[in-house]
Amino acid sequence: MDKNQACYLCKGCGLGEALDFENLEEVLGEAGISEVKTHDALCSPEGVALIQGDVDGGVNAMLIGACSSRVKNDEFNFGSEVIVERASLREQVLYCSEAEYEGEEEAGEDRQMLAADYLRMSAVKLTKSNVPVPFQLELEPETALLVVGGGVAGINAALAGAKTGVQVYLVEKEAALGGFLGKMAKLAPETPPYQELEDTGLTELVAQVEADDKIKVYTGTTVDKTEGAPGNFTITLSGGDSFRCGAIVQATGWLPYEPEKLAEELAYGSNPGIITNVDMEAKAKAGDLGGLNGVAFIQCAGSRDQNHLPYCSAVCCTVSLKQAMMVKEANPEAAVYVIYKDIRTPGQSEEVYREAQRKGVVFIRRDEDYPKISESGGKLAIETMDMTLNDTVEIDELDMVVLATGLKPNNPKVVDAPLVALGMDQEAAKKLAAESKAQCDDWSVLNLQYRQGPNLPTLKYAYPDSHFICFPYETRRTGIYAAGTVRRPMRVSQAVEDATGAALKAIQAAHAAAEGVAVHPRSGDMSFPEFAMQRCTQCKRCTEECPFGAINEDEKANPLPNPTRCRRCGVCMGACPERIISFKNYSVDMIGSMIKSIDVPEEDEEKPRVIVLACENDALPAIDMAARKGHKWSPYIRFIPVRCLGSVNLVWIADALSSGIDGVMLFGCRHGEDYQCHFIKGSELANVRMSKISETLDRLVLESDRVRVEEISFNEVDRVPEIIAEFMETIEEVGPNPYKGF
Amino acid sequence: MATKAYDKSFREEVYQNVDSGEDVKLCMQCGVCGITCPLRGEMTHGPRQLWSLIRAGKREEVMNSPDIMLCTSCYSCKVRCPRGVKVIDVMHGLAHYALEQGIVPRKETAKFGKAFWDSIYKTGRVDETEVPMRYTMMAGPIHGIFNMLEMMDIGRALLAHKRMKFKIGPGLPPSKKIRGMKGLKKMLDKAKSMSPGKEG
Repeated sequence: MDKNQACYLCKGCGLGEALDFENLEEVLGEAGISEVKTHDALCSPEGVALIQGDVDGGVNAMLIGACSSRVKNDEFNFGSEVIVERASLREQVLYCSEAEYEGEEEAGEDRQMLAADYLRMSAVKLTKSNVPVPFQLELEPETALLVVGGGVAGINAALAGAKTGVQVYLVEKEAALGGFLGKMAKLAPETPPYQELEDTGLTELVAQVEADDKIKVYTGTTVDKTEGAPGNFTITLSGGDSFRCGAIVQATGWLPYEPEKLAEELAYGSNPGIITNVDMEAKAKAGDLGGLNGVAFIQCAGSRDQNHLPYCSAVCCTVSLKQAMMVKEANPEAAVYVIYKDIRTPGQSEEVYREAQRKGVVFIRRDEDYPKISESGGKLAIETMDMTLNDTVEIDELDMVVLATGLKPNNPKVVDAPLVALGMDQEAAKKLAAESKAQCDDWSVLNLQYRQGPNLPTLKYAYPDSHFICFPYETRRTGIYAAGTVRRPMRVSQAVEDATGAALKAIQAAHAAAEGVAVHPRSGDMSFPEFAMQRCTQCKRCTEECPFGAINEDEKANPLPNPTRCRRCGVCMGACPERIISFKNYSVDMIGSMIKSIDVPEEDEEKPRVIVLACENDALPAIDMAARKGHKWSPYIRFIPVRCLGSVNLVWIADALSSGIDGVMLFGCRHGEDYQCHFIKGSELANVRMSKISETLDRLVLESDRVRVEEISFNEVDRVPEIIAEFMETIEEVGPNPYKGF
Repeated sequence: MATKAYDKSFREEVYQNVDSGEDVKLCMQCGVCGITCPLRGEMTHGPRQLWSLIRAGKREEVMNSPDIMLCTSCYSCKVRCPRGVKVIDVMHGLAHYALEQGIVPRKETAKFGKAFWDSIYKTGRVDETEVPMRYTMMAGPIHGIFNMLEMMDIGRALLAHKRMKFKIGPGLPPSKKIRGMKGLKKMLDKAKSMSPGKEG
């Protein structure tokens, strides 16, 4: 493509008065952009019309020097064929710097230099950018949907998928559809006024599935093999059938926590009257609740307990309320007790709690210690701490004690190192990863034929989540979505909602794969990593570090990228020691050249230069907001947005330091257990890599203080100037970079 | 110390016999009633713990708790209870139920109640001189006189502002009856016959 470049500078928002535009035009001319236009308000209809006129006249690559790239995106969008590069003169120059600084030779020169540097960098980026061409699968992209698991989530996902018109394959391990819903007697009230137990509705659901000619059901079947990538998965089933699909929903549900593990604490197994909530449900289903005069439910049996399940399973309280109501319905005279730590009834289930109370169920709040269960005269008795009476109490004459045990995901636990959940403790991470791998070596749901293993990577409790808050349903394998209790503990109505969400997400993923664009979080991004294979040294770093398992390997360890699995974070680009991986509009060379284009003053001018590589998901918005809020910081700082800190290649640090820049900071998002990284482990990888940078610095005979990684959350606006000020002090102490002027 | 086992008979008794007793079932032990109560410093249990005791079947503790007669009917707890428990109604209900059983959880309240009732029953009004006099004298003539001497300053101020009439003793001179006293008496008798409890 022949590039016809132009630059538009905005004089609005006070930029016109603050900067010397003639000087900026000169700077741009030196950077190779001779066509420069200014406007008083570039985002106004007149300003946009000015640009549009030039686009119609043949301009196809433009640099807009105005506000942050995070705003006015609609105004400055001229179609996918026109490259638009934004230099943030407003947020990163005008708002965050003073008009004058002490010790300036010429008033305002620091601010002017700041603006000039941003334009130089953007000009380089523009020159090096190319229009991305979407990746096209070799075979005709497939949009069919595979749903694994025929429980309430699976059935609803299949129905939701079929409703949109795609072919759906529903695979269930058991002989019949239904999953745990088929084992339930009744559901806790789900509709106002939340007083009546409800039917499971399974028969109608199954009938709907059977009546739908878009859904092909395989019962008594498991998935033997999943090959390929979104838009082109090839599935082989245990029955031998094979088909292609575009995306997958895993709705494999849950497993009850093993009550045998509670033999010591809660005497499980010592008396047939001590049962779990699952057993109780079976009894209720069999209509076997008559003749009960005294029943006690013990909540959090093996839940929220570091020795068992450390988390809350979210449903056990409602389940116990339901079962208590069932007992009361069978015998209103029965004494029913619920011994709890906290009653957790999310959503409208609080009404169910009230209804159970109205029915006369007695609630006793216990402490962290488990109640003691004993036998007396053929009946059971419980001794427990009653927190509201602040006394130990006894409950006797019980026919049955029900242990409300929690939910485990029906999914093998896979923890990959470096482990998000454990932060920087790499040794512990590797140990845990190996342990969990050993536990499920022969267990896989999807049997993925991926270089990084057959299973979905999970968080530490085996839930295959990727970014709980921002991207629900999303696993760490693109095109595969988790729905229902395999994703997190939830009740039936939530699983139905989950199923619809996951199915729609999966369909979206298949379509994105067909169009060759990223599905999320960089939705619609057409660029994808390209590998200059002749220079590959088969080091395997890219295949190992890709957070999404996008890159397979051939037998000679050459990377085999699957662009439809890719989320365009650039972690592979940051990993590659040979720097052979690049995107059309984002590459090692591009950022390296941007860094080198910064004008570094001589040492005696006493104007240090510091670059900040900032994650564009968390750090960049925080920086923008800090500037808009009126925070000022050193005019010697130059921000360079990166897709993810994981895409930061160590060579950039070397580039910066060897071109005389005094310090480098990396602003990323929070990593560790509560990670905020959109790409799961990008921020963490950056930290691990930076911990090893001392080698590079030693080679350059430089102080390690010159490089620092900082975590900044989206909302930590006020920390931005603090961190910068502190780092500038450090740089002052360390002194100027000896490479200046080389 | 392990106390007596949970006993369901007392809670069933309360649910059935005490005014709004069934509300006790709905308590979720949040404690808003207890912390809202202006008399929380005076109470031994507070409403929240009383409900817990009822459910646990602690008959003696509940029926003898002075708290059930301490309630001043300020309505703060009833307004604030997230479960809509009619706390005051249950408190008074419990007091009533206790008296009915011949238990007097708090003597002073019972005495004051009697003085109050007597004044209304006899004259149809709450006489500001008559009621405190009768109440203080219930402690016996010597105690009564001492008690009254203690309150002398307040009494003088009330007299000066004409908030109280001068009397040399209960019924001396007798309070003026309201008009239609006969009708009121009939109403009070009817109300009394509808409730099995004694005045209080």
